[in-house]
Amino acid sequence: MSALGRWWEVTRRELTSGLRWPGYWILFVVLFFMAWGWSEGAVTISSGDSTVGGERSHVTSVFAQSMIQCVLVMGIGAWFLAIAAGLVVIRDLELQVTEVFHSTRLTPGEYVWGKFAGALGVFLIIWILYLCTGAVFNHVVAAGEDVRHIGEFSLGNYLFPTILFGLPQILLFAGVPFFLGTWTRRPIIVFFFPVAVLLVTLGFLTTWSPDWLPPDVNRALMLVDPSGFRWLNETFLTVDRGVEFYNTAALRPDAGFLLSRIVFGLIGLTAVGGAAISYSARLRRGGSGSRFFRRRRRADVTKAAEPSSADATLRGLNMATAPLGFWKAARVIGREDVRELVRRPGMYLFVPLILYQSIFTTVVAIGPFNSRLLLTSGEVAVRQLNTLSLLVCFLLLFYTVESLHKERSRRLAEIFHTTPIGTGSILLGKTIGNSLVAGLILVIGVVASWAVIAWYQLFDGSPVGFDVVPFILTWGGVLVPTFIFWTALVTALFALFRNRYAVYGVGMALIVYTIYRMVFNDPFGWVFNWIAWNAVQWSDMGAFSLQGRELLLNRLLVLSLVPLLVALAVKWFGRQDFDATRLVHRIRPKPLLVGALRLIPFAAPAIVLAMVLHFGGRAGRQGEAAEDAGKDYWRENVQTWADFEMPSVSNVDVELDFEPAERSAAVKGEYTFRNHRDYPYEQIPVTAGQWDPIEWTLNGEAHEPDDRSNLFVFTPEDPLGPGDSLTVGFSYDLEFPRGMSRRASGESEFILESGIVLTAFTPTFLPVPGYLEGIGVDGDNSSEPRDYADDFFEGETEPLFGWGGEPFTVRTQITLPEQYTANGVGRKVSDEVVDGRRTVVWETDHPVALFNVVAGKYAVKEGDGTAIYYHPEHDYNIEEMSAALDAARKYFSEWFHPFPWDLLKISEFAAFATYAQGFPTNITFSEGIGFLAKSDPRSHIAFMVVAHEAAHQWWGNLLTPGQGPGGNIISEGMAHYSTLLLHEQVYGDRYRIEFAKRIEQMYGDRRFVDSERPMVEVDGTRSGDGTVTYDKGGWVPWMLQQEMGRENMLAGLQAFIAKYNPDPDFPVLQDMLAVLRGFAPDTTAFDAFAEQWFFDVVVPEYRFSDVTRTQEGGEWVVRGTVGNVGTGRMRVQVAAVAGERWSDEGDDGSRTVVNEDYRDARTEVELGAGESAEFVIRADFEPERVLADPDVLVLQLNRDAAVAELGR
Amino acid sequence: MLEIRDLTKVYPGPVAALKGVSLSIGQGMFGLLGPNGAGKTTLMRIVARLLEPTAGTVLFNGEDIVADPRRIRRQLGYLPQDFGFYPHLSGEAMLRYLLVLKGVQAPQGLKRLAAELLDRVNLAYAAKRKVKGYSGGMKQRLGIAQALAGNPGLIIVDEPTAGLDPEERIRFYRLLAELAEDRTVLLSTHIVEDISVLCPRVAIMSDGRFVADTTPGEARDRLDGTIYQGAVAKEDLHEIERRYRITQAILIEGRNQVRVHLSPEEAGQGAVPEGFEPVSPTLEDAYLLLAQANGASGNGEGA
Repeated sequence: MSALGRWWEVTRRELTSGLRWPGYWILFVVLFFMAWGWSEGAVTISSGDSTVGGERSHVTSVFAQSMIQCVLVMGIGAWFLAIAAGLVVIRDLELQVTEVFHSTRLTPGEYVWGKFAGALGVFLIIWILYLCTGAVFNHVVAAGEDVRHIGEFSLGNYLFPTILFGLPQILLFAGVPFFLGTWTRRPIIVFFFPVAVLLVTLGFLTTWSPDWLPPDVNRALMLVDPSGFRWLNETFLTVDRGVEFYNTAALRPDAGFLLSRIVFGLIGLTAVGGAAISYSARLRRGGSGSRFFRRRRRADVTKAAEPSSADATLRGLNMATAPLGFWKAARVIGREDVRELVRRPGMYLFVPLILYQSIFTTVVAIGPFNSRLLLTSGEVAVRQLNTLSLLVCFLLLFYTVESLHKERSRRLAEIFHTTPIGTGSILLGKTIGNSLVAGLILVIGVVASWAVIAWYQLFDGSPVGFDVVPFILTWGGVLVPTFIFWTALVTALFALFRNRYAVYGVGMALIVYTIYRMVFNDPFGWVFNWIAWNAVQWSDMGAFSLQGRELLLNRLLVLSLVPLLVALAVKWFGRQDFDATRLVHRIRPKPLLVGALRLIPFAAPAIVLAMVLHFGGRAGRQGEAAEDAGKDYWRENVQTWADFEMPSVSNVDVELDFEPAERSAAVKGEYTFRNHRDYPYEQIPVTAGQWDPIEWTLNGEAHEPDDRSNLFVFTPEDPLGPGDSLTVGFSYDLEFPRGMSRRASGESEFILESGIVLTAFTPTFLPVPGYLEGIGVDGDNSSEPRDYADDFFEGETEPLFGWGGEPFTVRTQITLPEQYTANGVGRKVSDEVVDGRRTVVWETDHPVALFNVVAGKYAVKEGDGTAIYYHPEHDYNIEEMSAALDAARKYFSEWFHPFPWDLLKISEFAAFATYAQGFPTNITFSEGIGFLAKSDPRSHIAFMVVAHEAAHQWWGNLLTPGQGPGGNIISEGMAHYSTLLLHEQVYGDRYRIEFAKRIEQMYGDRRFVDSERPMVEVDGTRSGDGTVTYDKGGWVPWMLQQEMGRENMLAGLQAFIAKYNPDPDFPVLQDMLAVLRGFAPDTTAFDAFAEQWFFDVVVPEYRFSDVTRTQEGGEWVVRGTVGNVGTGRMRVQVAAVAGERWSDEGDDGSRTVVNEDYRDARTEVELGAGESAEFVIRADFEPERVLADPDVLVLQLNRDAAVAELGR
Repeated sequence: MLEIRDLTKVYPGPVAALKGVSLSIGQGMFGLLGPNGAGKTTLMRIVARLLEPTAGTVLFNGEDIVADPRRIRRQLGYLPQDFGFYPHLSGEAMLRYLLVLKGVQAPQGLKRLAAELLDRVNLAYAAKRKVKGYSGGMKQRLGIAQALAGNPGLIIVDEPTAGLDPEERIRFYRLLAELAEDRTVLLSTHIVEDISVLCPRVAIMSDGRFVADTTPGEARDRLDGTIYQGAVAKEDLHEIERRYRITQAILIEGRNQVRVHLSPEEAGQGAVPEGFEPVSPTLEDAYLLLAQANGASGNGEGA
């Protein structure tokens, strides 16, 4: 037989045996169902919107198939390949058949390549079957005229992605584990490769892409991503190119990417070559393994020739036996397990990997507005909880099972289990041994976290130091019980099944199901959340103050199950093989019942704790009673009161007496209603919370309004005539948040020991006038988004938020323990402490549309008519925030409208909620916003968020937008526009440009091309509406300002605010444009601008071509063509430049300094969609590059590509 | 005293490995003989409480070890037929670990005791070497060392000399014989001659039953004058097999050295094959005849 024949024989044998391996058929079944799911439209590129009713991106497009290949091979195929290819030689070595093989003419090379080809071949067969199945599902089973996600059949759409994305990965994931298995003969190292690559790829390479990442680094990451997904995503998917593009365009890899794919494939094949060399060398050494092991064995062999002196008897040894005590025995077992674990290479592979994954996902975390976060110890500890609990549970599953099984796998079981050591000691010892692995990971994790925090302190200017207490509280209190419980559960499962594969199956299924529930669908409540997923919301201002009680009970529940599981494990643990006949007798009802009764003492604590959590949760704020109350409210009132137009509230006077430690308050207050309409009111509805009992008054007299499931309808004796007023009074006690929660979650408002934050949006602490649409509405009874007519804004428009009607005055009297500072809207008129209780009174010095209350144990930074109240440990960004607030108050007052109130303040609250809200005079920030943002002199993150939120004093409070499409852009978009203006004013062009580019990038990344609507139609109901509202909503007024001129724009905005403050008609974008138009110097240009940017969706995208640079006489001439490959018609500057524009010298981040060496020469072109224009720029310097829009004045896509380098 | 009463073990199938066997074993060495699949290992695993019986009881010194396995574990030295060790440990560390688990104590300390035990089984030279580098015989000796450690009241050894060279085999039996003076030793082996030499009592098992409970001398005496030996040409062997009960047939230098069993009556009737001479019976003759009489093929699955 020829060499080829022998190779084929090995390949054929491996193919045959590989196809009999059930794992591959399990893979095929998984792929089969996935193919079916995708044909049903479960996966498409997220372009388009099903609500639009138009074309959807095809799952059969080359882009979708490429995406699937990237993810599928990496996520699923790699595991099967690693097992199939990595273990083939190991298996033969264990079966000791290789010596027989090589006593024939089979060479090591023929054997190794044959084995690899066989293993690879089986996988490719399965993969081809999957592709065929997918094609049949897509084009035969699911296809049809009404199937919008399936395109025409194209063989290339399946083959090309397989070759470009699938095959290199397949070769890599087959070749490298094959080499590792052949070289080391250790399965654990074979498994390590896909685990490591998967974690690094999914956890970093494919997902980590902050805005500030330099393009070169991004490009490098694309090329080193073995899945290819980063290249696909960053090149084609991140910036949505629309359904038509994805369905019809060809996918063309660039040369660099193509080379990287070839290299990945070659790495796999080279690894097989390495395996052949290693294997051949081993054979030459007589199968003695690697050189390392060979040396050690030779040293042993030299000792073997020593003479024996064994003639003595056993009696002389004076042996006796005394059984070990329980704990000592457990210690002995545990110590031996630890010794073995320490020797396992897996420890040194998986532990760093887990820590890398855990810590890395933490340090790259970003906060609001894409800002980096300051890494406080609490944040670092809590952000790692989910990852650590998941990965360590996986590791514990593996180690515990292997530990329990190791006596059997080493054939020591028959000796081991006849020793007098107790079963309880064996199990406890093994549990201790394996728990030490988890403990070791936690300890190393703390050290690594300290190192990360210290590194950021030393090299990144972070002011935050390390504190071990949050780690002890969260990791010790949350993770340790999880690990103890999990180890006990795995042990009990092992004792029950006596089969490690069954335990792996059940354990993995339990973890996967848990994660599925916690991440995707109906998260487990406290009773079943054994892994404590998302169970901790950290706050430096008072950890555990929100759900500490529930968390404690949950942890106790988990721990209380441990004795039960241990009892079951001891009972079932297989030191002897059960007899089937006796087993049948044991599982009769009566013995089972007796057995169950015996376990009751072990189960009782868990049952009690579970009942407390279950029934406590049901009765609490997330329970059925609360849900039913909400539903009743909706059911009983939606038809009658949903469209009821309320009279105005003219005054609010409330007294709030808080006990933060008890989450309670005594509330007393009075609302004055004034009929600002021209018709009388017979009834006035007020929505209350679930406070019982409420004592109501009407015009000072006790009153019993009609209780319509918490919508209290007041019927005065005489209707409330136009211009008339009446008062509604109330008093009650409340607990908020009320009762226990059912599951881990944050709260948007709360009264807690850590602080208080309450708003008058919803009836959390005060009644709210009128019927509230959101209460009692969920997936069952939600309605389609309201359809607005084109002229909906004509006449009076209701406010987007707030109580409606005219602005009103507020007096808030707050009493609470003296160590708290309490802030309300308006100005503080008194602050007294009596008997340890502080009473503060706030009164509005100018009417407001809404109000709130916030309190905490604060330090304060006072500015120029401003103040910032903050947690004393959170002083990192206070100077920057205070400067921003001062500047905002000063310049926004100049530009838009004088600030009518005395004091503008920001107060911090605990991160149980993660928003910032700009209530009149009383802005509230969650601690992660601004206070714990990683600001630095260049990014000005803290400045940015303060400027944005401060701008809401004008865009939101002084001018409350109208309800309806485009309304929210007046609030959020104009706040971003104001932030641009303030950046320019305070820091200069450089930093305005940085901010503009930042939000432009976000718009490009987050928009949904096919579902994007003109700004005047954006109502927040579609994907991508957010970025249009904020980012585009900030950019477009900026461009409009360029169109109108700055002074005209600001004058127009002043007139706009003046017109609608106050006014019963609340404005939307059309109203704003109508006012601004009056200030436009060129109304034709204004109309054209408004038409395309407000009433249409356009985004330019500029590209250069044929750019040349020549020297003519004493000047340089740059010629070229610039085209708009996007949409919209804009004038745009083209600049030929030399040098870097901005200088760091003389700029510590506080002002823009232009580099002295920087030169530019410009021209201007006007380009419509698809148009191009030739340009000529003459310069008296040698230009290095040309770029479009050097001052960042035109919103565009892919700005980085609108540059042409001029070769030297 | 080990008492086995009506012990039955039925494996799923069902396969009856033990069919209600009873036996009393006193102090000293007790041999178990039987073909593969006779039920020897099943019996020993039940006594070692690694296997739950379907029915029956096992008493050791009057204590029911089926009801409470802990009672036997405190007094047991067990060497199974097939076993291994933690490969990463040295022989000495492995033995010391097992000594600790067994609760063995010695005035000289466990480290010294482990070294001395290894010396007794001639493994001292490899005490520091990792077990994964041991040959089959070395592992067997390490297994023997742990089984003999701690003065166990009951020692069960299943095929203990597999893989041992003759010198080590003799060394082991000497140790075993020493221990058997004041305790019960249950020895299972296919080497009939070893039983013959070592065990004052022997039980022969076949098909899940005891077919004999005797002493080697008794077994041999019963066959006295009934075993004949002679040389037979290869072509004549088939005829001899057809006509006589053969206990042994070994091909030596082209001719079969054959031992046959003839009853005194048969011998008196002149049935002795030509050229065959009466020889002294061996225990192996007795065992093989008993096994043949009970229909055991000798090729069944081990149980």
